Amino acid sequence: MAREFQRGHKAKISDLTPGTDLYVGVQIAAPGLTFDISCFGLDANEQLSDDRYFIFFNQPKSPEESIQLLGAQSGDTESFRVTLDRIPANIHRLSFTATIDGAGQMSQIGPGYIRIVAGGEEVVRYAFTGSEFTTERAVMLGDFYLKDVWRFAAVGQGFDGGLEALLKNFGGEVAEEEPQAGQQPQGAAPSFAPPPQGSAPAPAFGAPAPQAPQPAPAFGAPAGQAPAAPQPQMHSAPTMAAPMTPPAGTVPPPAPSPYGQPPQQPQQPQYGQVPGQMPGQTPGQVPGQMPQPGMPSPYGQQAPVPYGQQPPGMPQGGMPQGVPQGVPQSGAGLQAALQPYRETATGQRWTPQNQQLMRVDLTMGGMPVLARQGSMVMYQGKVDFSYKGAGFAGRVVGNATGQEMQLMRCTGRGQVFLAEDGSHLHPIELQGDGICVSAENVLAFDESLQHEVRRIEGHGIPGGALFTMMFQGTGTVVVKTHGIPVVLPVTPTTFADCNAVVAWSAASQVILSSQVRLRRNAYPGHSGETVNLQFRGAPGNFIVVQPYEV
Amino acid sequence: MNQQLAGFAPTPMVARMENHGRTMLKVAMSTGQDLYARTGSMVAYEGFVQYEPNPPAVRQIAAQWVTGEGAPIMKCSGDGLLYLADYGADVVVINLNNDSLSVNGTNVLAFDAHLQWGVEKVKGLAKFAGQGLWNVEIAGTGWVALTSRGTPIVVDCGRGEDETYVDPDALVAWSPNLKVKGKRSFKASSLIGRGSGEAYQMAFSGQGIVVVQPSEDSTDRLRIRH
Repeated sequence: MAREFQRGHKAKISDLTPGTDLYVGVQIAAPGLTFDISCFGLDANEQLSDDRYFIFFNQPKSPEESIQLLGAQSGDTESFRVTLDRIPANIHRLSFTATIDGAGQMSQIGPGYIRIVAGGEEVVRYAFTGSEFTTERAVMLGDFYLKDVWRFAAVGQGFDGGLEALLKNFGGEVAEEEPQAGQQPQGAAPSFAPPPQGSAPAPAFGAPAPQAPQPAPAFGAPAGQAPAAPQPQMHSAPTMAAPMTPPAGTVPPPAPSPYGQPPQQPQQPQYGQVPGQMPGQTPGQVPGQMPQPGMPSPYGQQAPVPYGQQPPGMPQGGMPQGVPQGVPQSGAGLQAALQPYRETATGQRWTPQNQQLMRVDLTMGGMPVLARQGSMVMYQGKVDFSYKGAGFAGRVVGNATGQEMQLMRCTGRGQVFLAEDGSHLHPIELQGDGICVSAENVLAFDESLQHEVRRIEGHGIPGGALFTMMFQGTGTVVVKTHGIPVVLPVTPTTFADCNAVVAWSAASQVILSSQVRLRRNAYPGHSGETVNLQFRGAPGNFIVVQPYEV
Repeated sequence: MNQQLAGFAPTPMVARMENHGRTMLKVAMSTGQDLYARTGSMVAYEGFVQYEPNPPAVRQIAAQWVTGEGAPIMKCSGDGLLYLADYGADVVVINLNNDSLSVNGTNVLAFDAHLQWGVEKVKGLAKFAGQGLWNVEIAGTGWVALTSRGTPIVVDCGRGEDETYVDPDALVAWSPNLKVKGKRSFKASSLIGRGSGEAYQMAFSGQGIVVVQPSEDSTDRLRIRH
């Protein structure tokens, strides 16, 4: 369960996730603006003393690759990979920032977030919108900072200047118009640079030149062999894992990094050891890493750490798996495990319990609820369910689709929990306005709403016609969608697939537009004809479309 | 390419069972700590893990679960990491600390072999439905993983004096100390429930919890009795 952070919230990373290999995603967008999203690795004085830890589009990774820029993916405008236990000891804070490239101000941005994903699961998210900002051109979104242990803070602090001002704030300098750190050969040269001298207040950009030209015989080797066949790893792994090598140094996947590790790291023994072993064992293979044929050493599973003891005879080499019998973060016991799923009680009539479950409290408001039959999963209290013919609606829909839409009326005192097939539920509160909902997507509604059935006929629509229910008045309609829907404003050119459209505001006008297309992939029996609905209306109207057809 | 998949690497294990994402379960296996898991739920494993479908111990305990067929449970033993999933259902990991829990048979994903467990038919319900409701009662101290179609909800049963009524198809688990009975609550018997035409709920009373999933798919492919 992802935790939602507000501005100023802080937490230990270890409380959020046991993982230290984290994915950090930032979403920020505004019409017509582009953003530079960067990560500053700051020292104990919050200064950018080593500009190789300014991770941005021109310098996508830090020397030992503990911080990497990954680019846009999974709905994130920008994403980073942060491996906390490989971050050098002189870096005390990672500040994730977004700056506007060019003109513009932060108040224009739409809803955005910074989130941390570990183990495939989002563990924390801090959401923000443009309304929190005014004329700022940069914003510090969130910080990882070291205070005994790594922690995460949702910052959300605007900054008047742009990237340059932000750099100056962190003690960096702008060499030219553009920060020139990009001249570092990515990943290569920095690896061999001598470790940064702790708090050496290194002048800003373009620094590594004097240190870089250290001829490094070993360098070529790891680079070339890193993706080598996993075979040797199986044999070499146990030898490597046996000495108590600290995981941070041994794990880095794409090899050359250990040399770039600053000496502050408690890994001295390793340096002596590595050269000797180099020839014999594919450098860069991660000791203790699971053999992953075909996948050249991606994310060093830090095997030695979690699994404790290593069964010596295990042929899989570095795959020690003692069972960690830790207690889950939330604590032991049944109650603790189920805590995230507890019923949420608010004093409202309609309360979403989670994305898929809706609770209606019949004691509030005192009016009955009409719900689709079979949608009740649970109820508490004295509730009566009675048959409610859908009247004209049900009959028409039933006749046309062969599937009668029948409703039940829930009356009494108590709470009814509604859900159907795990689809996402959305309560829509109407206050005198109207909405049309595709009949299949209605889950429940207050009886106080007026509803009528509308029929959209057209050749090509499955079942001959599309049935929609129009709701008007004051009350709540619960609409179900398969997946997360998209809400689009109605523009002169708004089209939707008649199978995917869920709802639209009642004031917009629907026009049927069919297109005949020759589709190669039209399956047998498919005419190749698609029916689209076009929507017209004044600005302010909207349509809702689900990512699922039929 | 690997970088794009960065966020999906498994996190180091700190407990015997952990979620990987919402829908995958990750179990650290070691010799001597066997695991019972739903047959066919294994999606991946690393290390040496062996599977024994329908082991004798299960056959004995679950003798009445089904007649003629094996129980849908396999015994996993060995050393390694085991990944389990059930067709994209949400996985809920529970660390029992001398607790007990009754779980609907179709919602069990895995549990430690050393836990006390038994299979029984829910009393009082058999007469309502052709499909009996089988549940697995698990007690002791150890790890259990349940599946739920959609995010489940947990409700305190003993909140009011009123009973809690649950659609049997949506029921996931409950505290065994609750009193259970079947109830026809619909006047027109054709109102609720798909297929069977039977309209009944299970009524729970007493102090305890009830876990419900937001889906009533009774046509579960793994349901034993049809």
